[in-house]
Amino acid sequence: MNHLGKAPLIFGLLFLLAFPVIVFRGDDRSDTLEFWIFAQTHYDEFSARIPAFEAAHPGVKVELRLISKLHDKLLAAFLSGIGGPDLSEVEISSVGRFFKGTKEEIGFVDLTDRIEREGITDEFVQARLAPWSLDGRIYGLPRDVHPVMLLYRHDVYEKAGIDPASIETWDDFVRETRPLARDDDGDGRPDQYPIMLSAHKPGHFWLMLLQNGGGMFDEDGGVIIDNDIAVSTLEFYCSLLNEEQLAIPEFSQDPASYAAMKEGIILGVLAPDWYISFARRFVPELEGKWRAMPLPAWQEGERRTSTWGGTMIAVTRQAENPDLAWEFAKFAYMDDEALANRYRKTFIIPPIRSAWSNPVYTEPEAYLDGQVLGRSLTELAPDIPGFHLNPYWAEANDLLRQAVYEAANGIRTPADALSHLAEQVRALRNNTTETE
Amino acid sequence: MKPRYAPYFFLAPFFALFGVFMVYPLFDSIRLSTYSVRGMQNQTFVGLENIERLIADPLFWTALWNTAYFAAGSLLLQLPVALALALLLSNARLKGRNLFRLSFFSPVLISGVFIAVIFYLLYDRRYGLVNRVLGSEIQWLQDPDLVMPALVLAGVWRWAGFNMVYFLAGLQSIRQELYEAAAVDGAGPWQSFVHVTIPALKPVIAFVVITSMIGSFQLFDLPYVLTEGGPGNASMTMVMYLYKHGFEFINLGYAATIGWALAVIIGVISIIQVRLFGVFREN
Repeated sequence: MNHLGKAPLIFGLLFLLAFPVIVFRGDDRSDTLEFWIFAQTHYDEFSARIPAFEAAHPGVKVELRLISKLHDKLLAAFLSGIGGPDLSEVEISSVGRFFKGTKEEIGFVDLTDRIEREGITDEFVQARLAPWSLDGRIYGLPRDVHPVMLLYRHDVYEKAGIDPASIETWDDFVRETRPLARDDDGDGRPDQYPIMLSAHKPGHFWLMLLQNGGGMFDEDGGVIIDNDIAVSTLEFYCSLLNEEQLAIPEFSQDPASYAAMKEGIILGVLAPDWYISFARRFVPELEGKWRAMPLPAWQEGERRTSTWGGTMIAVTRQAENPDLAWEFAKFAYMDDEALANRYRKTFIIPPIRSAWSNPVYTEPEAYLDGQVLGRSLTELAPDIPGFHLNPYWAEANDLLRQAVYEAANGIRTPADALSHLAEQVRALRNNTTETE
Repeated sequence: MKPRYAPYFFLAPFFALFGVFMVYPLFDSIRLSTYSVRGMQNQTFVGLENIERLIADPLFWTALWNTAYFAAGSLLLQLPVALALALLLSNARLKGRNLFRLSFFSPVLISGVFIAVIFYLLYDRRYGLVNRVLGSEIQWLQDPDLVMPALVLAGVWRWAGFNMVYFLAGLQSIRQELYEAAAVDGAGPWQSFVHVTIPALKPVIAFVVITSMIGSFQLFDLPYVLTEGGPGNASMTMVMYLYKHGFEFINLGYAATIGWALAVIIGVISIIQVRLFGVFREN
């Protein structure tokens, strides 16, 4: 070993020196904002705008990080108490896991007072604050509204003599579009479907349930997923898939669904704003053939939209300078021109009403045969339904998937599937209460 | 510095990291499995309640069954395929065999998520290559009876080439004289395979069987991306179920219990396999 000389000692010392440097970042980072995001499109948007924030705040540096599996890593940072960012985006399907336990345990800064102090509470579509709120306290700024419309093949409607204006309710939709579900090849299945509804994933059912005024929990945390609204919504949903055969059951947002659209197998899609930009990107061949109409209402005169998806920006409790982080959150999410640019690329409507006066929202959209999509979306946006988050949201949402699958595939009746689901969610609550 | 201390200095970083990132979490997870965890900090001691809950949890048994199905499928399908490939590609007369070896090995270089996306497209009912070739309209990923076989096939595609490399190495170490002696005794190709190749490959087969079994029981990325555990829970695996409880529901205590149940199951199966193969037996 003599030939090794002092190498082992040097390596040992280097390790001992490096270890604390890696584990404990001793530098003052109060002028640095670490911001975690999960989507490349968000990265592109913010990386272009961050220099403007840094120029307006001399000495401040914003470190933008595109994180894969962001929600898992953010959760690990909250559980361990170290390693988290100053700000983070959170996607709506993952938000439930961050609202476990008591209010003191939530890893995000309560922004309610700051929003009120700024006098911007009423600026937001109120229903859009709900997914990021618990017990009346708001923990994040919404990035979007995601109003849902019905994307339909207006060329096919025109050929079949269907007037979209005559479709005001879901019953109208069934009556008017039934002739479109033709079985020309005689295999017992339609060759084209007026709508796409998943028989395996709950997304489409969930947005229809919200539109109908239903949900998983009421504002007091009571389980309402087995009430009459939910049962009748799921019965209707299943009838479109099975008895009526108006809905193609196999797709959700699969790449193959775009191929089916190109081939004219899918004639209608429940489409939030972002989805319409997906269609423009992945099915460019259908430019000019689609148009978007408000969702058919459940009863005449009732709500004609819903909501699907969403993202918030939150300041974490690990932020060294929460005031600076809050300034950045406002800059990131509330700049009119940036929001208008985003609309051009993604059709995403901002949740701030004052931003809707920007002329971009009155531009005709070639992909939709010149329809002024922005106007339609902003007219529907104030009417989107909200829903009530609670600490059992993540588990309940997971169980919903199973219930929709069982009902849509005839394993249980809709009423039975939902009553079983509600039973499980109630048991979940009771177990938790007992343990506590 | 005295030379006798040198190895300890070299080993110190490993043991420090191993202690912090393996030994401590391992023991802490035993403690955690006796707690009910709600929220970020709220932990309540519940003793063996998590184990009772696990035994009564039908979804755990579904996940265990699915995982065992995948492991059995891997063993019965993947390993014979790997061995057959190795035998084919060890033939010196085969032209371009290095290219074939690389081709069969290459799936293991691709991330599991990407493989899942590829198979998502391959298995599509209307547009997937599999149905096009078969001339069928089978719903591979939406039929609860077919989703696990579909995952096993994807697993074969991913891992058979990797295990083939072990078998190739094993085949190359078999002395040619043994085959010659067998031929002199009148053995045909099949008898040579059964009486020379298989016994000589026994240590390699044991290694591949045991590591494949352990890997199969840890299956996560393929079903997580390909099916999300569906349809229903027809492709839910144990690690997916653990992940759900640990990272989606923040039931860390229950997740730790599932983790230990998995470790015990893998441990027992591995011990049985080690005994059956006589891995540590002299000669």
